[in-house]
Amino acid sequence: MEVKQQRPLTVEEWAAEGMELLKYYEKGPWPSHVSELKKTKYPIEAYAAGLAARKTMWAAGSAKIRYVYTGFIARRTRDGKISELHFRVWQPSGYLYSTEKLKKLIEFTEKYGLGLIELAGQQGQMIISIRPEVADEAVDYLRDVVGTDVGATGDTIREIAACVGPALCEYSLYDTLEARDKFLTHPKIYEWMSNQLFPFKFKAKFSGCPFDCTRAVHRADFGFIGVWEGAPEVDQEAFRRKVEAGEVDPEKLAANCPSGAITWDNERKELRIDGTRCKKSMHCIRTAFPAIKPGKNRKIAIVVGGHVKGRFGGKMGKPLAVVNSVDEAMDWVVKTVESWMEHMEKGVVKHKDRIGDFIMKVGFKKYVNEILGLKEVGKPSLHPSLRAGAVLDDEERKMYAAWASKIVEEVFGRRA
Amino acid sequence: MTADKVAERLKKKLPVPYTEWLPEKVRRNVGKWVDRKYHGYGIIEHISATGDRIFTVKVGTPPNFRLSTDTLKKFVDIADTLGIGGIKITRNGNLEILTDSLDKALKIKEEVEKMGFPVGGWGPTLWSINSCTAFLTCTTAVVDAPSITKVLYDHLKPYFTGEVKLPAKLRINVSGCPSACGGFTTDINIVGHYGDAPTYDPERIKLCLPKSAKALEMGHVPEVAEVCPTGAIRVFGKPDGTVGLEVIRPKCIACGRCRDVCDWIDFDQSKAGVAILIGGKASNTGRGPLPSIQVIPWIPAIPPDYREIVAVVKKIIDLWRENAREGERIGDWMARVGLEQFYKMLNIPVTKWNKPVTLTGEFGFRQFGPI
Repeated sequence: MEVKQQRPLTVEEWAAEGMELLKYYEKGPWPSHVSELKKTKYPIEAYAAGLAARKTMWAAGSAKIRYVYTGFIARRTRDGKISELHFRVWQPSGYLYSTEKLKKLIEFTEKYGLGLIELAGQQGQMIISIRPEVADEAVDYLRDVVGTDVGATGDTIREIAACVGPALCEYSLYDTLEARDKFLTHPKIYEWMSNQLFPFKFKAKFSGCPFDCTRAVHRADFGFIGVWEGAPEVDQEAFRRKVEAGEVDPEKLAANCPSGAITWDNERKELRIDGTRCKKSMHCIRTAFPAIKPGKNRKIAIVVGGHVKGRFGGKMGKPLAVVNSVDEAMDWVVKTVESWMEHMEKGVVKHKDRIGDFIMKVGFKKYVNEILGLKEVGKPSLHPSLRAGAVLDDEERKMYAAWASKIVEEVFGRRA
Repeated sequence: MTADKVAERLKKKLPVPYTEWLPEKVRRNVGKWVDRKYHGYGIIEHISATGDRIFTVKVGTPPNFRLSTDTLKKFVDIADTLGIGGIKITRNGNLEILTDSLDKALKIKEEVEKMGFPVGGWGPTLWSINSCTAFLTCTTAVVDAPSITKVLYDHLKPYFTGEVKLPAKLRINVSGCPSACGGFTTDINIVGHYGDAPTYDPERIKLCLPKSAKALEMGHVPEVAEVCPTGAIRVFGKPDGTVGLEVIRPKCIACGRCRDVCDWIDFDQSKAGVAILIGGKASNTGRGPLPSIQVIPWIPAIPPDYREIVAVVKKIIDLWRENAREGERIGDWMARVGLEQFYKMLNIPVTKWNKPVTLTGEFGFRQFGPI
């Protein structure tokens, strides 16, 4: 099977057609990325050409910044005409900025960049487009004036996400922000983050409560999720007031508890929650907060080996331990990463195997018992490998296209 | 500049402690929040034990969260004049402006709406559409996620602002390729893919292969073949001593790992489309965290209006709105009614790529048993 290009894949060849296409995205009620890009010095022709050719124009580029081995992304177009450089910038825990700090970042962007900021990358890092010729100088400005640094790319410790936690949330069961700060400055983690020595990327996420706003359960090699032991705490007096005020329907609250752990005693006007059945779904808490709050005995549940991008498809995190503080887990993190690297030397783990793949290869039980020297406290649930895609033949493709056009007709009506 | 100073870069300068980055009023109240109230779908009030109150206004941003400094400066201005000098960026790229009274919060809402930016995204609404960079930066994208996101947002804006109510929270993710940078924990995941096994440029593929077949005899497997999870890429020595490559179609799962490591693995772009996975969530509400499931393996992705994608997404949301109970996210609804029932409602053709599955077991920390 060989593909024959009808037209050469160059920006020049496709840009005019693409710029016409882009006009479509400047209209419409939602703020347009195209309008924003046009306000900057971003080389929008490359994007336009990609859209027209229906193929990305970008290929891996290269840049050299002295003593910086991770944290920037260099790109060039396939025809070699345009190059781009992005800095991934470490965000403060919680991504909460005073305007004073944000102004410094904006100044930085205008001085060294294209006037374009990507507020949050897929991992939450801030991405700033930089003029390649001043990149070296820019690193120092970022360090000395703004007080942060280029972040992480490649096979190393990546941006570590923490939910807003105690800075602006009532539910937070531990200080996720401090935990992230401490994690990043842990001597081993700090040593690892400047180089790309791992088989693949490493991520950790800190969620303050079972809502898991950082999605630690699936998107982190180590996920730390705040939880409490037993039942939520009910302030019966405050709860009765909420019931009398008509804010909460206690019967409905009990009926809708996903764990089936709640009963409402209508005679005594008391709400009872069976702590042994409570699955920490937060249903009652968010319905009747602050009359119902998380329990007092607070813990952190650690799930390990979750990821999206990995050789054998995505995985949900597996249960590792329930601890009192993140410090207790640091040795396990270090042991896991070291063992992951050792197994690459042995050839068991291949390049682009995530920790989840590594655990799959050695076996979860063996990982917990022998590598970490612990006893399992939970059993991982099974699920099919998380992946998207299909290899279809022309008949099947036609079948799905026909199905989709029927839905188009249903939703938009028949095209005139 | 001295060499020592440059070498210092080996030690990353981290933005720690985080408290240095906080606006003063937030710093004073860290860990002291006791209650919250919602004012519509875009304003949330946090009440501190100290009596301080902070109102947060949540603003939707353009696809892929890219802002010009011009626009960001305007937001900073608003945060200074009407707010307490603080902006929070969410993991999904929404921008939150902090202030200290409801009046000011409403004024902020008015100002950003004047700029053309919507306010909303809390409670039973569309929280955000997470888009990867695709053709803006990425080397492996198959379809362009930001333009798909823009079109979806244009159609779904009333769900973000709360003008049209949803049964529960909705998150959508658009990824340009099967690496699925947005993850599989959103309610609706749209993932671009080849729809076919990869092909390759016969000349340039040599750049990803060893020069001579001797290297293969020594046991060296080139990365482009080694990275394949199903062994669908075979490399072999040709009689003339060069190396050949073959894609074994029945084994291929179109994951694109080979393309991640070799630019010259290619595909027929006329066959590119998107798969739709639904039901993923990370939160412990309802049935707890759920992995999403591929229900539609392929539909075409045709710019500029991507009608097929928009129609299918709208149809799924409509069905969910009609059939789900209050508070039920798509995954919870699906778990209750069963995937087969969902297939019937939509009349989706089934191939080996989207066979209905039943998830057994619970995920997240529910795997520990009772805590």
